[in-house]
Amino acid sequence: MPELAGAIQEAARKLLEEKKVDVVIGFAPGTLPLRSTPCFVHRPEDAAGLTWNRSCENNLANYLRKRTDKVAVVAKGCDSRSIIELIKENQINRENLVIIGVPCAGMIDRKKVDRRLAGKELLAAEESGDSIVLKGDGFTETIPVNELLHDSCLSCRHPNPALYDLLVGELLPEKGGDDFADVAAFEAKAPAERRAILTEEFSRCIRCYACRQACPMCYCEECFVDCSTPQWIGKSSDARDNMLFQAVRVLHSAGRCADCGACERACPMGLSLRNLTRKMVKDVQELFGYEAGANLEDKPALADFKAEDPQPFLIEE
Amino acid sequence: MDWEPKIVAFLCNWCSYAGADLAGVSRIQYPPNIRVVRVPCSGRINPLFILSALRHGADGVLTSG
Amino acid sequence: MTANKPGQVGAVLVVGAGIAGIQASLDLAESGYYVYLVEKSPAIGGTMPMLDKTFPTNDCSMCILSPKLVECGRHLNIETITNAVLEDLQGEPGHFKATIVKKARYVDPEKCTGCGSCAEECPMETKDEFNQGLGERKAIYKLYAQAYPNAYAIDKDLCIECGACVDACQAGAIDHDMADETVEVEVGSVILSPGFQKFDASALEYYGYGRYANVLTSLEFERILSASGPFGGHLVRPSDKKEPQRIAWIQCVGSRNCKIEHGYCSSVCCMYAIKEAVIAKEHAGHPLDATIFFMDMRTYGKDFEKYYERAKKESGVNFIRSRIYDVNEAKDGSGNLTIRYANEDGSISNAEFDLVILSVGLEPSADVVELANKLNIQLNQFNFADVPALTGVGTSRPGVYVAGAFSGPRDIPETVMQASAAASDSSVILSAARGSLVKKKEYPPEKDVTGEIPRIGVFVCHCGINIGSVVNVPEVVAYAQKLPGVSLAEEKLYACSQDTAGQIREAIEKYNLNRIVVASCSPRTHEPLFQETLREAGLNSNLFEMANIRDQCSWVHMNEPEKATAKAKDLVKMAVYKASLLQPIQSVSLGMNHDALVIGGGVSGMTAAVSLAKQGYKVHLVEKEPQLGGTARRIHTGMRGEDVQAFLGDLIAQVNGNELIKVYTGTEVADVNGFVGNFVTTLSNGEEIQHGVAIIATGAEEYKPAEYLYGQNDRVMSLLDIEGALSAGDARVSGAKNFVFIQCVGSRDDERPYCSRICCTKSVKLALKIKEANPKAQVYVLYRDIRTYGFFEEMYREARRKGVIFIRYAVDNKPVVEADGEKVKVTVTDHVLGVPVIIKADVVGLAAAIVPPAGNAKLSKFFKVPLNQEGFFLEAHMKLRPVDFGTDGVFMCGLAHGPKNLEENISQAKAAVARACTVLAKESIAVEGKCAFVDKRKCVACGVCESVCPSKAVSVDMKEKVAVVNEALCKGCGACASSCRSGAINIKGCTNEQIVAMINAL
Repeated sequence: MPELAGAIQEAARKLLEEKKVDVVIGFAPGTLPLRSTPCFVHRPEDAAGLTWNRSCENNLANYLRKRTDKVAVVAKGCDSRSIIELIKENQINRENLVIIGVPCAGMIDRKKVDRRLAGKELLAAEESGDSIVLKGDGFTETIPVNELLHDSCLSCRHPNPALYDLLVGELLPEKGGDDFADVAAFEAKAPAERRAILTEEFSRCIRCYACRQACPMCYCEECFVDCSTPQWIGKSSDARDNMLFQAVRVLHSAGRCADCGACERACPMGLSLRNLTRKMVKDVQELFGYEAGANLEDKPALADFKAEDPQPFLIEE
Repeated sequence: MDWEPKIVAFLCNWCSYAGADLAGVSRIQYPPNIRVVRVPCSGRINPLFILSALRHGADGVLTSG
Repeated sequence: MTANKPGQVGAVLVVGAGIAGIQASLDLAESGYYVYLVEKSPAIGGTMPMLDKTFPTNDCSMCILSPKLVECGRHLNIETITNAVLEDLQGEPGHFKATIVKKARYVDPEKCTGCGSCAEECPMETKDEFNQGLGERKAIYKLYAQAYPNAYAIDKDLCIECGACVDACQAGAIDHDMADETVEVEVGSVILSPGFQKFDASALEYYGYGRYANVLTSLEFERILSASGPFGGHLVRPSDKKEPQRIAWIQCVGSRNCKIEHGYCSSVCCMYAIKEAVIAKEHAGHPLDATIFFMDMRTYGKDFEKYYERAKKESGVNFIRSRIYDVNEAKDGSGNLTIRYANEDGSISNAEFDLVILSVGLEPSADVVELANKLNIQLNQFNFADVPALTGVGTSRPGVYVAGAFSGPRDIPETVMQASAAASDSSVILSAARGSLVKKKEYPPEKDVTGEIPRIGVFVCHCGINIGSVVNVPEVVAYAQKLPGVSLAEEKLYACSQDTAGQIREAIEKYNLNRIVVASCSPRTHEPLFQETLREAGLNSNLFEMANIRDQCSWVHMNEPEKATAKAKDLVKMAVYKASLLQPIQSVSLGMNHDALVIGGGVSGMTAAVSLAKQGYKVHLVEKEPQLGGTARRIHTGMRGEDVQAFLGDLIAQVNGNELIKVYTGTEVADVNGFVGNFVTTLSNGEEIQHGVAIIATGAEEYKPAEYLYGQNDRVMSLLDIEGALSAGDARVSGAKNFVFIQCVGSRDDERPYCSRICCTKSVKLALKIKEANPKAQVYVLYRDIRTYGFFEEMYREARRKGVIFIRYAVDNKPVVEADGEKVKVTVTDHVLGVPVIIKADVVGLAAAIVPPAGNAKLSKFFKVPLNQEGFFLEAHMKLRPVDFGTDGVFMCGLAHGPKNLEENISQAKAAVARACTVLAKESIAVEGKCAFVDKRKCVACGVCESVCPSKAVSVDMKEKVAVVNEALCKGCGACASSCRSGAINIKGCTNEQIVAMINAL
């Protein structure tokens, strides 16, 4: 990890020095252990402030839209896949972007850490082999990394960036295709049961829209929830409207969602939002053979029509 | 059971809506639970229309084109 | 040339309102001519409305036709005269006097609302001809449900004048004393498209038609399959309503039969039989056994061969190559039938079926023959119109043209092509009078309603008793009165009657109404009528909304008046909610260039260029080769013996001699920008051309065979090689004694799964030519199916009579060609004997496929028009738009579209011109205005709209970061609006807000 951080700093410094970019977007250490924060570096001498560790979880694709300057961005697998879709959607000018690709072995879920520490305050954490050593006042716990990773990282099939100009570190072995066992298990439930689970889950939604804000693909000038002509949806938190909001949010991500998990990480109520997004990812893959962010060439699933596209929703004569 | 479902249909002007007219001309009788919204093409059916209809109490939505 | 003669009449008479007559009328009316469309029956449509589905796309026939019926019926410059016949025609091209007899209809179509109350009361029933006698109709009847005019007629032979209909008609439309009427009209040209009749199968006793209840004709079967037919689309035998388990089709009933003077092939039966078999299998709830008994399978049209293969492989239709002896009914009372037939090897088999369908041929009716005789139109030996060679649509009488099956059996797309071609030829001789007789309606200036609060007028129609007897109309009116924004709600007996229109206009004035809702019948038929009323009252026609409380309410919920009333209220409420959000829509007008670009200087391209120039349009003709002529330069004799080189020379001279045509040889198209009316094309020589339309006529090439020693042995030649050699007196052919022609070389295989259409006829023609030059020469034709469709069948017969030997080979056992000293040894397994036959040939002729040029791909991208899998251009609709593309202003003709013979290419070239002229005749491009529009504030330029737009009407302006709509191209389908996540793009007249308002009304 420290080697990767060094390499990122070096790359950033060079890009800024050579004036190839105006800014480098990466991560800086946070104020608390296992926290990092997005960081914008404009001067070569500030490149040393960049870091790379197990808490660089934010999807930095979020910061690349509507820019007129030349930008370099540190991109994990998921960031890069969002970037690819944003390029296809005319949101990022590829010519003004340098992607510093970083293979990613997964990021740590602070909520899982908190649960393991059961209320004890974490003062320091360090990585040691396949484990994380958590230290605090009077305790030291060593926990295998896998037990602390975000769910989205555990199910991630693409640790390597799908598109990059510079590569930092060494590519990790790609994992096989996603079996979507979680989605299949949910699909196997009876409709009434699914409905009950979703109703229960989304009755807790407070409509803070953190999920929308965190998602790199949610960038409409006016979100349909805020639209008043027509008013698609009630503005207050009502279970039915909450469901409608989530349904449309997911629908809008069809063929675009890279399953980075940003929405779920952002949710203050801990709703399992990926339950929905992954269903959509699976359906798009199965119906159209399209995986968001795989490459720049494939036409986005919902922006393309082929006569042989399956139409399972049609009722045959 | 005397429950009566409310069904909203979005029909393409050129085919399904014409088909619904033909059902009329042929006096084919069917239950009066359906409310038809005519659209210029089934391509006009925004998924939000469907969700909106369900949100407003429709028990089923038929899109046809 | 009559083009500049004074006193030309800018009107055309079209006789026969089937699809040909309708298409010709529409093309002419859209090109600036007034059209009289005369139809014998009480409604337009012809045969097409009787068909269930259409091949090869399986589109519903009525669904694709009905927009054309409505357009034709409502066209300001088409005067449809039904129940009428052309009695006499005097005069000359440019100026004819036509006498038309309008038979009494006994119902005034202006007053009749088509409600059908009269027929319900009528006591007299007879067999319904439209349903081929499988159902009943009354003495007062409408030809078919979607008929135009939507009006009844009385069959006086059956009518007993009891007066029940008069009592039932609240519109006062019936007049039993109506008399025949004779009118005279002046026209500049005449198009005859009277269609065909089906062969009367009872004339061939051995098929049992008329004797056995379960032997039907193919047209009867179409009605059985049709959802609007006598059995609602339920597949049953009419005799006992049993669902058949086994159905047989017998081909060539009344075709290819010299004994009854029907020696020609009816061309369409193979495809319609396959279609019926496929659709029947889809309709049946059980695994249906569908078997087609045929002689040669003639699936020669575009995409037909693939349809045939799919029917075999995917649908499991059985095909038996056979000759039928007879059909006999079973003795067990089951009504089943046994077909006795000879197999190819001569053995005899019997097979039992529940239903036998006779694929009856097409023939001219006695009426049509009489008409032709009256007009002095020459007919051929089979009584079809005799078309002068290489005119496509001419007749023996100048100024009179033909379209459709009158000049020979043909399918719908070829009929449509001919119709457009006839329109083009008419237009060529009348161009000086273009626009002289067309009508244009004037309206009062439009009131500005911007900023006004909605003041909605609601008119609820009783439709006589059609609505009022089920829906409680006064209750609906009272309900509507209380809805927000409604200023006035009234009931009307017939909302569509003339006097009601006046009342609506008065109400608009008196109550200052600015939105109108009519609750009555279907907007599909009546919206234009009411919109007209709005315009007459100074309101924008889009401030109008309809609630369909008849077709989709009172008629379909007749036994539930309360629920029907509740539904009617809901429908009115939805309409009112939408109406309050309606905005005026202004039609859009864009300037346009009136020049044409024709790409390809072969016969098709040159024919198109000359036709356009004769109509006064400037043409840029681009040819990639250094000289004009295309493939025709290698053809010496046409299919009917024409001197092609003389024809070609004349055509080239016409092109070069016309100052409106600018020829660019050795030049290709390098880039294309713009859209209809405003194209800018860059040529390979750097020149830039501005043009309003483009016609693609890039032709095709002869496949260079990799098989059968082609290119290795100079005695193996392609058909074009042989044609050249024959004409040049090449010693290889002039001294040859044994000729072998091998068919389907490079066609009908996996790589090119299409039939090249013309090779069978061409091989037969060459065989005859060889025989003519040297009767002792032996000619063998090795074939898979002989596809000498139409009148070419006569040549096939003649060839056999003259001793040409035809040997069928199987596709999995193709002939073997080997070099053998001075000769070429051809080995083929004979289909009758089943043993190999060895022929020592002096010349082997390969019927090589017609293949599209590689350059098509580039043009396809330039003009944003598609190619099919084989690389030929793909038309906008395989049936009804055979020369159009989805991209407006771009047309095609000739081999670029697919394999065809010279005559057909000429016809198609003229058709493309007619279609192009509907664009060029306009001063500017006017669009209705129900287009997409973009809210720049919301648009994020993501480009989804651009990628989903089927009309290529939306593009993202990358500088402004916003989507831009080209209103000239937008068809208003709304795919963009449905795909836009941001709600930034909407359709005028159907906005998200309006639709949601309707949903909210529930």
